[in-house]
Amino acid sequence: MIRALIVDDELHAREELQIMLQEIGAFEVIGSCANALEALKVIYRERPEVLFLDIQMPVLNGFELLSMIDPDLMPHVVFVTAYDTYALKAFEEKTLDYLLKPVEKKRLEKTIEKVLRALQETAHPLYESPGIRRIPCVFANRIKLIAPQEVELVRSELSGVHVVGPKGEFFTDLTLRVLETRTDLVRCHKQYLVNLDQIDEIVLLENGLGEIHTKSGRVVPVSRRYLKTLRDSLKL
Amino acid sequence: MKLFFALLQQMSVFLVIAYLFSKSPAFRPLTGETLRPKHKVLLYFIFSAFSILGTYFGLPINDAIANTRAIGAVLAGIIGGPLLGTAVGFTGGLHRYTLGGFTAFSCGVSTTVEGLFGGLVHLYLVRKGRSEQVFSPGIAFATAFCAEALQMIIILVLSRPFANAMALVDVIALPMMFANSAGAALFVSIIRDQKNMYDKFGAIFSARALKVAERTLGLLSKGFAPETPDELAKIIHQETGVGAVAITDREKVLAFVGNGSDHHRPGNPISSELTRRAIRENKVIYADGVRERFTCALKDKCGLGSALVVPLRLDNEVVGTIKLYEPKHKLFLNLNRTLGEGIAGLLSEQLLRSRYEEQKNLLIKSELKLIQAQINPHFLFNAINTIVAVLRKDTERARDLLLHLSNIFRKNLKRSEDLATLEEELDHVRSYLKIERARFEDRLVVERDIDPTLLGLKIPTFTLQPIIENAIKHGISGILEQGVVKLAARRENNRVVITIEDNAGTYCNEGACEGLGMNLVDKRIKNLCGERFGISVTCTPQEWTRIAIAFPAEGCQPS
Repeated sequence: MIRALIVDDELHAREELQIMLQEIGAFEVIGSCANALEALKVIYRERPEVLFLDIQMPVLNGFELLSMIDPDLMPHVVFVTAYDTYALKAFEEKTLDYLLKPVEKKRLEKTIEKVLRALQETAHPLYESPGIRRIPCVFANRIKLIAPQEVELVRSELSGVHVVGPKGEFFTDLTLRVLETRTDLVRCHKQYLVNLDQIDEIVLLENGLGEIHTKSGRVVPVSRRYLKTLRDSLKL
Repeated sequence: MKLFFALLQQMSVFLVIAYLFSKSPAFRPLTGETLRPKHKVLLYFIFSAFSILGTYFGLPINDAIANTRAIGAVLAGIIGGPLLGTAVGFTGGLHRYTLGGFTAFSCGVSTTVEGLFGGLVHLYLVRKGRSEQVFSPGIAFATAFCAEALQMIIILVLSRPFANAMALVDVIALPMMFANSAGAALFVSIIRDQKNMYDKFGAIFSARALKVAERTLGLLSKGFAPETPDELAKIIHQETGVGAVAITDREKVLAFVGNGSDHHRPGNPISSELTRRAIRENKVIYADGVRERFTCALKDKCGLGSALVVPLRLDNEVVGTIKLYEPKHKLFLNLNRTLGEGIAGLLSEQLLRSRYEEQKNLLIKSELKLIQAQINPHFLFNAINTIVAVLRKDTERARDLLLHLSNIFRKNLKRSEDLATLEEELDHVRSYLKIERARFEDRLVVERDIDPTLLGLKIPTFTLQPIIENAIKHGISGILEQGVVKLAARRENNRVVITIEDNAGTYCNEGACEGLGMNLVDKRIKNLCGERFGISVTCTPQEWTRIAIAFPAEGCQPS
């Protein structure tokens, strides 16, 4: 059974697709989510093999969700949309397939063949995706969207990933790896990313370690391993 | 005494000539308010001729001539000023001088002086701001009287021998003074009457032209409807009093009113060659009934004998004609000819204006269609997807949703009217919201607060639905929390205000992309209900957007 996740902001659309997938029988629908943020959590937790993804969704759309998934977890993606506003042909190359709502059973069966074939080739496809423009963060019971250029540093702890900016610290579901590859933030430590534009000075310590002082006075550790790459990115 | 009567007799001949003059085209300059140099030259010749005639008609007495020469000079002065008066007086005087006699010189001089005297009276009147008295018979009488008295003195002073001059003056003074004064007064009164007649005539003409203009403007301001040509023809027929009036387009008769309407029927193709020529050559065709006759192509016994065909132009292209007819037994009045051409010019202007208005409305209508066309496919897709999904679980509900969908599309198709009641609009919105609620389920809540006394209010069609659609499409659908749309209608400060509020507060971020639909609704309200009404938007980012639509308290009136 292929483990599938449905992401669509409309209840009936989710239910309809779930019923169809179950009827065909090749899938185990491990969940259905109403928005990208919910989906992100489930993807990290459940690691689905296939994602049926609506494009038009509140706050973060389907494309944005794609760019926030860790490449190591990237499922095969089938876009499901009501109308061809996004010039889907262009995305056909970049994702596995796309379906137009209302989904026809025959068309869905074709997609399933594609999915099966793709799964034999690779578990985690490599989709081209644009950079992240807004980092979704949770703050109290609100969703906050922070632009990467506003971020000073990102810190990974046991409790999760924290984005630190001028307005404080916020928790995010995104991983350091995703943020490193899809934004201009630079890795300086196993647990830290830093915004190069926010660096005030880099203090070199003994043992090949370092310390970054940000413009607002925050201190970010630099590990031996990343000092060199940091120097390279700063062209020092 | 005999001389007095002789002079009066002579004066009468003179007045007959004056009367004829007042009827001739040469009189025209005197009807204007001010005299141009060209006209003054004309008047110089006319009054000089009068003056010389006055001498010729005179009676020889004691080697002198008792005459009415002074009338021409004095009047030229009073009417035309010192220069004209002196010039006419000098001419008349010079002519008298050439005839000889012992008063030749003194009479020559005195006539010139009399002209100048008349001119000074003219100057005096103008300076005192009493120039309307130039044509007063009383002034003319007094002036001529004094001028003649002056002449007598000049004769006494200049003519030799003095005894002869004294004897002459003794005989001619009173008769000449009275005859010339009375002549001048009567002459002026003839001129004045004629002038008044011209003025009155002009006033009547202006009044009629203005009346036609007013009535047609009123009619055309309501737009060009199928019955407009008929009403126009009726107005022109009534106001001009011509035998018949027709209005045509390029091919057929649109309206015909008056004599011959039994066989000149609206809807007939154009039968008259005159009309076809007017359209072809884009010019006014006039068959005066004498040199060129109007002959009816439809019926031998048609009573119409003369016609004026004026093309109606739109951007200098003939779009139709207006035709004025007179019956065979009646002359086509020049007045009506001018009036007819004027009306056609006026109508051409009006046509241009109403076409502009029409195009403006068409533009708004087609923009509205465009919006609907833009919205509908997306809405339709979403609705069908929802219904397809609901169908599997709840056929009764799916059926209900399909009925609402059909209601929406039926109304979109059917409602070509500009205005609808608030109740009808709300019904349209209710169906729309039913479908959107099914799509979003508990993500969308709608709260209504409608003053029930407002349900009959007339507002432009498709006012509410686009705004609510905006609130959902650009507001509610973009937030993660439950979306609430509040729809309220109430009276407020002598207006009716309908508000649509959502709890997304996204208008401020992306107001630009909502512009088109909303602007159009606003434009339509302003166009149909008045400039003071329409849409205003307030917003707190991330919290709420409120669209307030203001209407007149009594609703919008159909135009």
